[in-house]
Amino acid sequence: MRRTILTVLLLVLGAHAAAAKTLVFCSEGNPEALNPQLVTTTTGMNAAMPMFNNLVEFAPGSTEIRAALAESWTISDDGRTYVFQLRPGVRFHPAPDFTPTREMNADDVVFSLMRQWDESHPFHKVTVGGFDYFKDMGLLELIEAIEKVDERAVRIRLARPEAPFLANLAMPFNAILSAEYAATLAARGEPERLDAWPVGTGPFVFDGYQKDVTVRYRAFDGYWRGRQPIDTLVFSITPNPAVRLIKLKAGECQLMVFPDPADAAAIAADPALVLMRQEGFNIGYLSLNTRMAPFDDVRVRRAVNMAIDKGLILETVYAGAGVVAKNPIPPTLWSYNDDIEPYPHDAEAARRLMVEAGYANGIDTELWYMPVSRPYNPNGKRVAELIAADLAMIGIRAELRTEGWQEYRIRLQSGSAPMALFGWTGDNGDPDNFFDVLLGCTAARPGGNNVAKWCDRDYEALVSRAKVAPSRAEREELYRKAQVIFHDEAPWVPLAHSVVFLGARKAVTGFKMDALGRNIFEGVDLSDVDSR
Amino acid sequence: MKASPGDGAPHGPSGRGRRRGRRGMRIGYKIFLVGGFPIAIAAAIAVAAVMLLGEADRARSGAILAGAIHRNVLTAVTERDRYVDSLPGERDMHSARFAVPTERAEKDLATLRDIASDGDDAAAIGEARQALVHYVMSMGQLETVTQQNDMLIAEMAGRASRLIELTDEARQRQHDSNADIVAALSQRDRQVRDARDLVEAGYALRSALSAAGVQAIAVLAGSEAARGEAGDGLNGSLRRLRYAVAGLSSVLRVQGKGEAADELEAMAAGFGDRLMALADPSSTPLDALRAGEPGGDVEQALTQWAERLLKVYTTQYRALHDEMAELLTYSVKAHETEQATQNIAIAVLKLGDAAAGAFKSRSPEASAAVLDESRAVADAIVGLPISPLIQTDMIDAFERWREGLSTTTEGLRQQNALIAGMDAAAERMTAAARTLDQRFTESAEAIGRSIRTVLILGAAIGLVFGAGTAAIVARSIVSPLKRLQLGMLDLAGDPHRGRIEGSWKRDELGDMARATNVFVGEILRREHALRRSKDRADQALAELRRTQAELIQAEKLASLGQLVAGVAHEINTPLGIALTTSTVLDQEVSTFRQEASSGRLARASFDRFTARMEEGSRLLLANLRRAADLVHAFKQVAADQASGERRSFELSRWLEELLTSLGPMLRKGGHEVVAECPEGLEVETYPGALAQVLTNLVTNAITHGYGPGERGTITIRVRPLDGTTLRIVFADDGRGIPAENRRRVFDPFFTTGRGGGSTGLGLHIVYNLVTSTLNGRLDLESEPGHGTRFTIDLPLRVAEAVAEPAMEEIA
Repeated sequence: MRRTILTVLLLVLGAHAAAAKTLVFCSEGNPEALNPQLVTTTTGMNAAMPMFNNLVEFAPGSTEIRAALAESWTISDDGRTYVFQLRPGVRFHPAPDFTPTREMNADDVVFSLMRQWDESHPFHKVTVGGFDYFKDMGLLELIEAIEKVDERAVRIRLARPEAPFLANLAMPFNAILSAEYAATLAARGEPERLDAWPVGTGPFVFDGYQKDVTVRYRAFDGYWRGRQPIDTLVFSITPNPAVRLIKLKAGECQLMVFPDPADAAAIAADPALVLMRQEGFNIGYLSLNTRMAPFDDVRVRRAVNMAIDKGLILETVYAGAGVVAKNPIPPTLWSYNDDIEPYPHDAEAARRLMVEAGYANGIDTELWYMPVSRPYNPNGKRVAELIAADLAMIGIRAELRTEGWQEYRIRLQSGSAPMALFGWTGDNGDPDNFFDVLLGCTAARPGGNNVAKWCDRDYEALVSRAKVAPSRAEREELYRKAQVIFHDEAPWVPLAHSVVFLGARKAVTGFKMDALGRNIFEGVDLSDVDSR
Repeated sequence: MKASPGDGAPHGPSGRGRRRGRRGMRIGYKIFLVGGFPIAIAAAIAVAAVMLLGEADRARSGAILAGAIHRNVLTAVTERDRYVDSLPGERDMHSARFAVPTERAEKDLATLRDIASDGDDAAAIGEARQALVHYVMSMGQLETVTQQNDMLIAEMAGRASRLIELTDEARQRQHDSNADIVAALSQRDRQVRDARDLVEAGYALRSALSAAGVQAIAVLAGSEAARGEAGDGLNGSLRRLRYAVAGLSSVLRVQGKGEAADELEAMAAGFGDRLMALADPSSTPLDALRAGEPGGDVEQALTQWAERLLKVYTTQYRALHDEMAELLTYSVKAHETEQATQNIAIAVLKLGDAAAGAFKSRSPEASAAVLDESRAVADAIVGLPISPLIQTDMIDAFERWREGLSTTTEGLRQQNALIAGMDAAAERMTAAARTLDQRFTESAEAIGRSIRTVLILGAAIGLVFGAGTAAIVARSIVSPLKRLQLGMLDLAGDPHRGRIEGSWKRDELGDMARATNVFVGEILRREHALRRSKDRADQALAELRRTQAELIQAEKLASLGQLVAGVAHEINTPLGIALTTSTVLDQEVSTFRQEASSGRLARASFDRFTARMEEGSRLLLANLRRAADLVHAFKQVAADQASGERRSFELSRWLEELLTSLGPMLRKGGHEVVAECPEGLEVETYPGALAQVLTNLVTNAITHGYGPGERGTITIRVRPLDGTTLRIVFADDGRGIPAENRRRVFDPFFTTGRGGGSTGLGLHIVYNLVTSTLNGRLDLESEPGHGTRFTIDLPLRVAEAVAEPAMEEIA
């Protein structure tokens, strides 16, 4: 009898599986890791986000903070003590070798933060990548204590008040992991599995990752906000935008990131497809390694800035979808200093600067470009070729170099690329997320996200002050000044703020593009309109 | 009539006989002895035989049952095999068929257990029963397991076909996608060609530009003499530049970049003009030097323009190449994916086949092997670049398929274990059934032998004993019997002769002798008494006959009296009238005599007297005649009644006369008599008897048929039935005769009107007269409330002699 029931159950499940809704998302590249604590790219974050929740989160499509795993919180008057009340009834995913026995509680929150913050934490060393984002955000110094108040409350004390702290907690790297899972793995002697097989509280359960092929997820039946309408979510890793488009057209995927801007019109015209666009909250830039000759000379950096025909790049590679950049932050972000006069495109002046800097005979160097499409740079290689052609005019003979996205990122963060194309999409809507994370001295450490490895005391002072400045006006003023320093010191050639495109099949419902470059699959469904 | 032993002593044969008689056994005992021996022996044999036969029957039926059980077990095994081997849809049928023989076997075993007497049998039966219970229970389990397996297998087939479906879907999508790839590739190809054309034309322009620049410098730097030559060279460069511009311009225009072509042509024209001026021999180099560099701004702009063009299109060219490479790679990959998917589909089909084979042969080992093999396919589904759209579905479907296979494998093991267990149980059962069959058969045979022995021995003993005893007893009975016979014959010859000897004996012969003596005495006594009572009875009978005759005579006389009374009444009227008339005539005569004597006789008076006389005599005549007629009629009737003679007469007239004489009786009650009789019907019979019959019927009808004050109609219908018979139907419409009385109305002295003075002889006389005197028949029909109907059939001619004895008897 019991067996019969079981069989019937199997039949039911089988029938269910047969009608499974699978959403395939053609993503641009391999995630550098599956644990959001270890990633710094939107590719990695996007792959991790379906599985996790944070204490607080950005409401979709905005930078407004709302409650997530923390039901509520209080901030002390001095702005240094945060107490979070945790949501009850939140369940963690099961894994092949783990079945959660309890609901999420303060231990999990403390574990997730302590692992990154406390270098003596048993799980701190259990990873090769380190916790770059946590560090880049200066959280190591900012946080003074992380304590469990009771099962349902956690207190975080800061060394100083920090305006964007809640926003930082909403960022993917501050996702809440299961302490119970970690303990189980540690007891079994395979703690590294914590990062290899993620267990979170998010809407989707991890179901496998094949490098260069797929990341697979299944809907989590026990998700605290309710089960998702789709049953299976797959990231189909497809670096080439032309191939992504082919797949989208074939119905092999229902969503594709970053179509070639040149194809945007064709997608918009296809009756089976929908073209989504979002003014990019990003910056694409050419990073000049300030710690490597000849780019340690500001004149060379300025010469490079003047040599490059940014307009042509925007016109040809971005197909006009975006604006030429002059500052490190997008013009839509508050504190953007529009008074900055950009460097003119003047090869002659650039040549003179080169001669002045002692490089009359030109130089030989490397220009690294990313192997994958990025929202801020649809085609790194072509941008690199265009730049190389321009630089050739001023005697800089750049060898074009690239490698795998993961290695590329590591190379840049380690500071071993003299010139490199890179970019950034704001993660939390705060200017600090650009100014400090990308250009601050903390991030200039090896492995930090400041790939120009530029550390300017005046700039750092301004940005640090801006963080603790009580009012937005004051912060804005400080950031405007910082932008002047950035312009003068020219650690980057800011190239463009792109418009981000996304192709979708008409059947996809409930998907919204996000200003912060996140792809959020919660609530996404597939209707039956897809003809293919 | 006392019999003492002393009386018989002189007749006794001898003292020895007496002694022997006294000691002798009673015949009853002897006969009992004779019959008893064989009967007792037969009974004993019968009892033994019945018991043994019962035993034999029991054993035989036990053997039959054991045989049936054996057959049923074999049938059950066959059905079980069929059940296992048949298609899932047909299993139920075999399952139902399996139940029949097992139930029978169970019932038979239960019966057999009741039959079995022997402990060994009981043990064997117990063993078989246990095995059967186990067998049936195992069958239930087998059915459950098989059903589950069937279900799983069906489900697995569903999953496998789902997998195939998924791969087909993927292939279809890939085929559709191939067209897109081709379109994308050819678009890229066109773009590559365009870019290449532009790049080539751009390079041509750039090299023409730099050549022209070099020539221009040569012109400026050259001596007066050399200028002409250099001018020629410059002209050549100019031409080359124009070609290059024209070439690029046309490429641009072909590619729809007319604006750029215009721009190019404008710039090229300005530059050309500058160079033409230089080439002009009339101009001086100083003019040119004043103007600065040979090409000036125009040349720089043109060069930059060309550089920019080259930058854009070389990079585009490369980018397109990369894209094409990527697309081709993808196309190859997609093909590989499709191939991989198809391979998986094929692998799944093969696995499905292998699994089906394993299920069919019910080999858990083969099934487990398939499960092992399938792991590779499962890994392939996870590891191969299958379309992500279906990969998860495929993984799930295949995982479920494998789970199904694993469960089914276990199910097969269970099934096989059950089948093996069942086979063992069946073996035990058939063995037990065989043993029982054998044992029961042997037992039956042994009992049969016992019966034969018992019968033969018993019969022999019975025969010997019976015969011996019968001989002895027969002799001891027959000789005294003969003596008794002789004695009795003597006595029969003369009952008064005396007594039979041997009455002293104590046995039945003695009893018989004594009884005969008593009997003879009794006969003598009875004979005497009988004779006396016969005499008395004869006297009584004579008296009785007399009385009856008297009564009947009285009755006849009574009816005659009635007749007389009626006739007297009838006669009274005419006689009265005659008397009155004669009285009146007498007065008239005396009156006339006076007148005549007085002489005062007037004519008128004479006439009146005459008239009166005439009238008177006429009246007298008429009435007297009538009286005479009546007397005649009466005389005839009375004569008939009285004489009882037979004569011939006309019936209707006779009937009329009779009814006339009955008239007063009828009129008294106001009853009507309707008589129908054909005229001229001559009969020769006893009119007196007939009259008496009808008179009695009428009297009976009037007396008993109607209540006081009731008036009825009596119908008498006479008709000849044929030439010899006459039918008289006498019917009244009175109250009828109740059924219980109907049979008795003809009995003498039966009457319902005893109180009214009825004798109860009327209808008895009717009956006797009709059946005896008139030699006819009489039927009575009556319904209470619907009258009574007598049907009398009479011969038209009655023979003389017939009636007399009866009449005499009555008389």
